[in-house]
Amino acid sequence: MVDWVKLAQRSRLGRRLRLGALSVFLVAVSIPIAVPYIWMVMIAFTARRGMAETGTLWPALVVILVGLGIYGVAMLWLRRERLAIVMGVLTAFLLGLILLGQDLHLQNFRFMVNANIIDDLDGQGTVGERYPWVWEAFANSLLLASTQTVIVVTVSTLAAYYLSRFSFRGRNTFLQSLLVLQAFPAITLVIPIFLIVFWVGLLNTLYAPILVLTALELPFFIFIMKGFFDAVPWDIEMSAMTDGASRREAFWMVVLPQVRVGMIAIGVFAFIKGWEEYVFVNGLRTGESYWVMSTYLYYVREDVMGVDYGMVAAVAVLYVLPALILYLFCQKYLTQMTLGGVKG
Amino acid sequence: MAQIELKALQKAWDDAVAVQDMNLTIQDGEFVAILGPSGCGKSTTLLMLAGLYLPTGGDILFDGTRVNEVEARHRNVGIVFQSYALYPNMSVLQNILFPTRFQQTPDAEKRAREMAEMVQINQLLERRPSQLSGGQQQRVALARALIKRPNLLLLDEPLSNLDATLRLTMRAEIRRITRDLGVTTILVTHDQLEATTMADRVVCMNAGRIEQIGRAEDLYLRPDTLFVAGFIGSPPMNLISLPHPLIEAPSIARTFGLRPEALRPAETGLPAQVTHFEPMGREVLTTVQTPLGLLRFLEAGTQPLWQVGDSLHLTHARDDAILFDGTGARIPNATALITEQGYA
Repeated sequence: MVDWVKLAQRSRLGRRLRLGALSVFLVAVSIPIAVPYIWMVMIAFTARRGMAETGTLWPALVVILVGLGIYGVAMLWLRRERLAIVMGVLTAFLLGLILLGQDLHLQNFRFMVNANIIDDLDGQGTVGERYPWVWEAFANSLLLASTQTVIVVTVSTLAAYYLSRFSFRGRNTFLQSLLVLQAFPAITLVIPIFLIVFWVGLLNTLYAPILVLTALELPFFIFIMKGFFDAVPWDIEMSAMTDGASRREAFWMVVLPQVRVGMIAIGVFAFIKGWEEYVFVNGLRTGESYWVMSTYLYYVREDVMGVDYGMVAAVAVLYVLPALILYLFCQKYLTQMTLGGVKG
Repeated sequence: MAQIELKALQKAWDDAVAVQDMNLTIQDGEFVAILGPSGCGKSTTLLMLAGLYLPTGGDILFDGTRVNEVEARHRNVGIVFQSYALYPNMSVLQNILFPTRFQQTPDAEKRAREMAEMVQINQLLERRPSQLSGGQQQRVALARALIKRPNLLLLDEPLSNLDATLRLTMRAEIRRITRDLGVTTILVTHDQLEATTMADRVVCMNAGRIEQIGRAEDLYLRPDTLFVAGFIGSPPMNLISLPHPLIEAPSIARTFGLRPEALRPAETGLPAQVTHFEPMGREVLTTVQTPLGLLRFLEAGTQPLWQVGDSLHLTHARDDAILFDGTGARIPNATALITEQGYA
């Protein structure tokens, strides 16, 4: 006779143990990823006068751990997600105020209102230099990332549609070469690209990194978009054309809405790529002709008078913010990208 | 509404001929089914009629006017695909209205509602296609194909994705609607029951060619070719290669065909041993081993009259035999008989 009750108990226990082990593993793996970001934020808000304020880092982790613990307990007891989040955040906030309250300040963010960060720090140390202004770098980064995103999304969408729907001589070779291009590390191309940009006369202009990044990113994004177009059934397009649409109208009205997810996904990736770019923005300028966020961050770090870690962290926080916001808003589209599919 | 004429129509790809030498005239308001196994060129023919494929030879005439090069959107043809090809980004009403966006349609919305009523989906107009069942999607596709009063309605395997009961209702529905509107209709299918129950005339195709055109009973009783004889009829016809010592037939005959319902048990005749039964509702299909090989015959009744292993004798009327020559064409007015020599 089989003891069903006992078997069910064993299965429940097994499932709990497996889930528990999985949770512990995931938490352990995420610690080295999450902690640096937490500390970056802490340093930005607590460090003073060029010294890294390590005293606040451990209490900060304690605060977050307690908050997470309260959230976990609340979830287990109350089983109401929103309430649990509110309780966790509230606890962390109050505890943080008690433990770290007197250490928090906004001094490290003074670069946002005053371009003259070095003079401000060390009196008359470096008179006469031209200091980069953070908002100029921010605007340039925004311009670089968004222009590049618009070009990448437009070109890869149109190219991928053509590759997906039309057969022409050399189509397969073209597709294979798209992937081969992706196999080369872009950094190996820095010198030839520098020469080309120099001869074309775009050196020290923002056009150079925009065009170069676009060219480097296109192959991969075309490939991704082709996958999305491949998933759109032919029938729908043929149906639209018998319904009276021209091919272009069918593309706009029927096909394009179905690859929207793909366009948003590659748009986000292209934007983040442009936003974080360092190699080509730094490699294609010879002086200080333009500043973007990555070069600005490097400039702040490079101070001859000793590094102001507090300010570096503060710049980093500002630098991370737009990408983070974009990511949060578009997260649900990005997860669908791996599916590469269109659901009717 | 239009009369459709195909003259020596041909479609060839680089490496294969899909349709060749196709001649067919369809009267105004007629319902014609193109029946054939997959890959016989029936869908290719349909897409040429829609204007989505360009014929490589021959002509397509609508009311006597050659339309070969007329684009799909100008042909005023309605099409329903097997997948229904609804536009997932639009509501049901928007789907039905889609064709009216490209041509002046007075009271488009009123007409869309009439169409919806005719196919009985007026409760679902605000839904998205993904929220509909297969049968409902089918009805939407039909309404969309009919809203612009097409010259010609094309149905590409429209019932294949439906379950058996729904298929039965939709067969009658589609027939009723096309008759009410008097629209010329071409149905493409591999299901002989669909073709024979819905169409005025059936066109049987194989390997890119028309094998026979006629009413369903013509194809069943007087198949022009061996292919039609084997393809039409369920259970299929018994076919035996000639000459055979047990069959008395004209010397030019190379294949002897006999429908399962033409064979019947008798006191004397061809000796047979029962190997298998398939109750089919009001009839039982019995498979027997005979000196001519495995044969099948149908017997009325819900229960088998025999048991596996039973011996019996089979006989048939001389006129029921259908004979084919070496090219596979039927020999008209020829008769044949299975003789009983040595087995009496």
